[in-house]
Amino acid sequence: MDNSFFAYMQQLELMAFFSGYPLIYSLVLYIAGTLPEKNNFKTRLVSLLPYAYALIGTLYLGDLLRNMYPDYSIKSIIVTIQQQWLIIWGLLSLLFWIPAISKRIVLSLIHSLVFLFFLGKDLFLQLFTPSANSDIVRNDMKIYGNSLLLNLAAFAFILLMSFLFTSRKSRQMA
Amino acid sequence: MKLLNNKMLLIVLILFSSYGIIASCTHKNEPVPAHAPTGVIINHGNHIHHPGTTAGDSTQWKFDQIHSNVTWSTAFNGVGAPLTGRFNQFGLATLTPAVMTTYATTGQPLRDSSWVFYENAPANTHFSGYVQINTSNTGAPGRDQGCYITTMGTAKAVAGTQDLSATNVAFIKTTSVAFDPAANDYIVTFNFTWQGKLGAPITESLTGKLTYVPEQVVAGTSPAYSEMGLELAFQFNCRDFGITATDIGSTITVQVNANFSNK
Repeated sequence: MDNSFFAYMQQLELMAFFSGYPLIYSLVLYIAGTLPEKNNFKTRLVSLLPYAYALIGTLYLGDLLRNMYPDYSIKSIIVTIQQQWLIIWGLLSLLFWIPAISKRIVLSLIHSLVFLFFLGKDLFLQLFTPSANSDIVRNDMKIYGNSLLLNLAAFAFILLMSFLFTSRKSRQMA
Repeated sequence: MKLLNNKMLLIVLILFSSYGIIASCTHKNEPVPAHAPTGVIINHGNHIHHPGTTAGDSTQWKFDQIHSNVTWSTAFNGVGAPLTGRFNQFGLATLTPAVMTTYATTGQPLRDSSWVFYENAPANTHFSGYVQINTSNTGAPGRDQGCYITTMGTAKAVAGTQDLSATNVAFIKTTSVAFDPAANDYIVTFNFTWQGKLGAPITESLTGKLTYVPEQVVAGTSPAYSEMGLELAFQFNCRDFGITATDIGSTITVQVNANFSNK
């Protein structure tokens, strides 16, 4: 077996973490769009999106470290990582913890669309290639579904933390 | 304008996801499973096998005694795991009072020619066979030449002789062979004769299952020849024959595996 299988597995891992974000992003923006203009909740809802995305990136980093455990040597990292550019791109999501970057929320969408592209590519091949294997799309959709749930959970967690932090802060100020 | 753009993105993503779900739910790559068979598939060929001893005559099938076996098993103490053994001396010949005596030979005392097999006409199939009781081999010489001999009411084997006397043989002779309606086998009814520890041999009518292993050319042989096999399985109650030892169960299971070749 060559390394292409492991490269494909790493691509699927990245899709599992990041491909569900665009739909969550647009849903949150849509919900925020239905709220009154001067609503504090609306602002918070939108502004927390990049942090949820950064949390996904952190979880991905944790998964990467878990897969490499216990050998974190350079040699082991080189051997283990097959999709180095894609993984580096995925890890760039950690930058959204920086408030200056997370202010530009559209960047998180652009960042995640790279991973949605692979799903789109498989769907395109399925649509226009008669001999395409639907098992790949079926598998992609399972991963996409899990990614949606993960991103939704990450956003809900960040929202909850935000409320807890705000209410504690306001109590302290009172 | 910004909201409109987001709405468009949302619609595109929902359509994209919906298509993905639909595409992943199609079963076009999955073959339709075949219907489950509703009954036992029985397919009897047309092989006919007759015995003979002429070497090189491929129409004559020779009993390969060396590569055949007759095994027995019974529950140890009537309740345990099977106690098993095999008979070292057996044959495919009809025993009549005239031939039931002792032979000074190490080979087969009688010609193994009392059998005929018709794969598709079981009424024409018949066979007879025997085992020499004192040649049972359980792998424990102390038992085989000790308590087993007295338990079975026979005498120790004498080297260089074949003992076909009434006290030392159990033999069968078929009375009918029919297709097994539930499998690709045959139901055999036969007379089983053995003296055991009784004063004289008795005969019981038993039923067994006969399996035919169709003839096939043995690969790599020159000149080429074929092999075929017959397997017979049956049970009997040893208490009917005066065997009272309780360290063996009352039910004895016998398995006969007979190989034949036409070389």
